Amino acid sequence: MADIPDQLTLNVSRDREGRRDVVVRRVGVAALGILLALGLLNLFGQRPSTTTAEGEAATLEVYAPERVRGGLFYEARFRIDARREVEEATLVLDPGWAEGITINTVEPGPIGEASRNGDLAFELGRIPAGQKHVFFLQLQVNPTNVGHRSQGVRLYDGDELLATIDRSITVFP
Amino acid sequence: MDIVIRAVVMFVFVWFVTRVVGRRELSTLEPFDLILLIVLGDLIQQGVTQNDFSVTGAMLAGGTMALMTVLFSYLAFRFPRVQPILEGDPVILVERGETIDRNLRRNRITLEELAAQARMQQVAHIADIEWAVLETNGNISVIPKRS
Repeated sequence: MADIPDQLTLNVSRDREGRRDVVVRRVGVAALGILLALGLLNLFGQRPSTTTAEGEAATLEVYAPERVRGGLFYEARFRIDARREVEEATLVLDPGWAEGITINTVEPGPIGEASRNGDLAFELGRIPAGQKHVFFLQLQVNPTNVGHRSQGVRLYDGDELLATIDRSITVFP
Repeated sequence: MDIVIRAVVMFVFVWFVTRVVGRRELSTLEPFDLILLIVLGDLIQQGVTQNDFSVTGAMLAGGTMALMTVLFSYLAFRFPRVQPILEGDPVILVERGETIDRNLRRNRITLEELAAQARMQQVAHIADIEWAVLETNGNISVIPKRS
């Protein structure tokens, strides 16, 4: 009858005394499952959501993800429905829209772009009463941009504030 | 700096996944497993280097992975109590011709699989096995009975 092979002991190698490898493995599999479930539930982005602000003169709607991951391409859509004529529609975005995010393109091209007290201002021009203006930003998250940033949006008619949306973005690594 | 952190995180994640998946699954390189490993490598690479196409980035990521391998190996060598956590430990599957069903079940090894492993090591019957041990690398060592 052969002896037990070197370095093996019956109580550990056969009876697994003091070993919880199966439990640890099951917990690990459960942890992986939870991670995937959270991903499916959009915890890590990038499913877009809609935020709306109703103003007397116009309604402002933003359709964009609030959670994204490094390197992702995504789109932000801004829709303005004018109740009355907006002569000098201007969208003012928090710097968080461009901080660590590459703006690949802006469609339709605004009449003018400027900095308004550190914020990004896009002059969209005149929107007649009852008409809408849809404005797209095509964006890409820079991989090193991780964290939480404010992405507020304000709609002005010249210097008159018409609507405000407070939102933020979380960038996962 | 980010690339080193990402490489460390992905190294630990891959270690975690391989420990959780189980050693048998990783040692049997069927065509599907092979493709899966290549795909996994590609996915991990993208997460580590992202948009960095530089030689410096590749050296940092590769160097980090190599150092982490040395570190894990050193920890397992230096601290024997850590070894089972990092690498697992051998599990006896057959003792003097008798299968240890609990250990087979826990490692998801069927009798057919065990018999196939025995045949590959020139043992025709499980009853002729003195010891069969599931090693930490996922291989099954078969020691036949002395005739």
